[in-house]
Amino acid sequence: MKITGYSTTLYEFPLNRRMGDANSPSGRIRGSSNLVQLFTDEGITGVAFGGGGAGPQIKSMVEGMLMGEDPRHVTGLWKRMVDRVFKGGHAGIVNDAISVLDVALWDLKAKANDEPLWKTLGGSNPKVKAYASGLDTPLSDDDIENWYGTMAADFGFTGGKLKVGLDQDDDLRRIERMKKGLERATDTPELYIDANEFWNPKQAIRKVREMEEQFDIAWVEEPARRWDFLGLRRISDAIKAPVCAGENLDTLGEFLPYFHNRSADVVQVSWGMTGITTAMQLADAAYGFELPITLGGSPGNLNAQLAPCMPNFLTLEVQNPDPDDGVMTSDIKIVDGWAVCGDQPGTGVSFDQEALEKATVESVSASAGPSPFGRRPGAGLWDNPATKEEADAAASGVDGFAYVPKHGSKTQ
Amino acid sequence: MKITGYRLEKYIQKLDRAIGDANYPAGDDLMGMAILWIDTDEGISGMAPAGNDAVESLFHVIEGKDPRGVVGLWKDMVDWVHKGNNEGEVNGAIAAIDVALWDLKAKLNDEPIWKTLGAREGRAKAYASDIGYNLSDDELHTFYSRMADVGVEGGKIKIGLNMKDDLRRIGIMRDAFSKVKGRPYLMIDTNEYWSPKQAIRYINEIEKHFELFWAEEPARRWDYDGLRQVARNISAAVASGENLNDIGQMYPLISQQAIDIANVGVGHSGITGARQVANMCYAYEIPVTMMNCPANFMAHLAAALPNHNMMEVVDPGRESAFDSWDNHIEDGWIVMGDKPGLGIEVSETKLKDLQATDHGRRPGFPFPRREGAALWIKDIEPGEVSWK
Repeated sequence: MKITGYSTTLYEFPLNRRMGDANSPSGRIRGSSNLVQLFTDEGITGVAFGGGGAGPQIKSMVEGMLMGEDPRHVTGLWKRMVDRVFKGGHAGIVNDAISVLDVALWDLKAKANDEPLWKTLGGSNPKVKAYASGLDTPLSDDDIENWYGTMAADFGFTGGKLKVGLDQDDDLRRIERMKKGLERATDTPELYIDANEFWNPKQAIRKVREMEEQFDIAWVEEPARRWDFLGLRRISDAIKAPVCAGENLDTLGEFLPYFHNRSADVVQVSWGMTGITTAMQLADAAYGFELPITLGGSPGNLNAQLAPCMPNFLTLEVQNPDPDDGVMTSDIKIVDGWAVCGDQPGTGVSFDQEALEKATVESVSASAGPSPFGRRPGAGLWDNPATKEEADAAASGVDGFAYVPKHGSKTQ
Repeated sequence: MKITGYRLEKYIQKLDRAIGDANYPAGDDLMGMAILWIDTDEGISGMAPAGNDAVESLFHVIEGKDPRGVVGLWKDMVDWVHKGNNEGEVNGAIAAIDVALWDLKAKLNDEPIWKTLGAREGRAKAYASDIGYNLSDDELHTFYSRMADVGVEGGKIKIGLNMKDDLRRIGIMRDAFSKVKGRPYLMIDTNEYWSPKQAIRYINEIEKHFELFWAEEPARRWDYDGLRQVARNISAAVASGENLNDIGQMYPLISQQAIDIANVGVGHSGITGARQVANMCYAYEIPVTMMNCPANFMAHLAAALPNHNMMEVVDPGRESAFDSWDNHIEDGWIVMGDKPGLGIEVSETKLKDLQATDHGRRPGFPFPRREGAALWIKDIEPGEVSWK
């Protein structure tokens, strides 16, 4: 079997709720994605979603490294791609390109075997523990309780992750509302919080310690900067909850300081860290250090396919139980709070051609990207709660597509 | 598809030559071996050139399960033995089952295991390993020359008991490989016979004469402080780990930077467990070297590892029960073919003959630890080996 060509298709769609975090409290109501297809001489096509900003890198990788190759050699091809970009390193958009191509290759390998990916990887049980993640900074208190309540009642989630970091009083109140929502499924919900690197280590210690007076926090995610292994370790030593970190790292090598200094108690893994190939290397390494693995949010929740072969897998982030973009289809279902991978060959994540054509765009609008507002001013320095302007935008329900903070405001 | 049964056949193999190390320089040419088959309801079986009686106590964990879920089944077995832990005989049984399941998984895909594991090329770089303290100077020369003739660029030699003998023998190894590579890779292995300080003194003396690529097991397998001490006081890399059973036992060696190169092998709980160790080492930028095995079958995994250095080839003749195995050494690499699974064809006739043979004694392998180990050096006694 040989790779004969590829295609990429950018598309946009309305989100089913306003999404944001400490860095973008007004949130956004549009999302975007990029469908990557790898074609073969046997008529099987590898499908993956991502790398929307990495068009030229995908093109160069496919043309230079993958054309004519057997996609079943994915681990070797991964090495080939990674070695190709040795000097600059596999970081940033180059890493996005390798990551999405690696997923498409694994999809092809599983399809060539006519089996779901979890089985190709050697998993024996396709059912993996999951938690609900609201990306909910723009949501009102009532919306938070409702959303987690629905996730608990309709899908059985017993754990939830709240975006925090801008205002301690808001956060304390909102954790309580998330808890109330989740209590529709359990008396003892797992309460995760996520600050998206907005705090410095001492802010994190003060805030989390205060939260821990009221709540049993199941983990604190990204309480300091991604590379600050000393700060993360300090936080972990000073709070009761595990420190969960790593999602913004790109490679196995970037985790070495975490491992060596025990900076993270829970290691975040995703296909975006140089593909499924690196995700599995990371899971093995974390297993050696007795550190649990959590898999982050993913298109159609495809990360669930990786979990069955990870010996110390903890829980999977689910932002939407079913694909929310109207284009993607997924064979991964949420049942009683667990993600269950089906028998569809490959990753189980595919697309509807007609819907794709309707949603296709030439280029992605500025605020439909994954983190359209960048890092928020004041991050790591001072408190910077949402301005009235931002709060109004979040509450208005109007198209956040057009919302950009004014130059010179506190948010610029 | 379901696992329905297994078959374990044990036999004693007479090697082409005796093998020996610092613990038992005279060595022995009898080796106890086993072949394990895992059977399925679809008539396909997976095999491993390994196994022991502990398979019986574990089989119920995988019975009725889909063999393609090998990584999940590995975890089920490891979890099952939690209290006593994944060690010793139980570890050997888990490893054998795991290999047989990978063989089965690859056969179901009609491809070799290296391809199932995602390797782009079915090959792994080789080095020659004598396990031959019993071999005379001439025999050593013949062995390393034979390996040099197929392009192998270096070798490992068993030493540790007599400096004068060892320097001479390392020289024989170097000379044999120098026609392939100007500065051949020279490795030494003492199989835990020395204390850390003995190792430092001994290796520093050798390094006055030779550039060593690595020194293997210069201290006890678990002594991460001692191994680290050795690593900080010699120029060669310290390699160790082959006598440990799993990634948990490798943890201190890796996190304490006790080793510069990790020995990995089927003994780390099979292909699944060895891959875990290799990946953990990869995070620490530690290269791995695959341990020797019958028919070099672990080359399948070596080919798929991004941080694999060289694989140990001993070739003492452990393949008498096989009709064929699908690899050969070419230009210094173990080159595998496209036969499905491990690529090993077992001969039922040869197996029966081996089982019917009475050698009149028990195999001497694995060797007991030699007197004086890590305390004083007990030199090879006159007559203990043919060459002294």
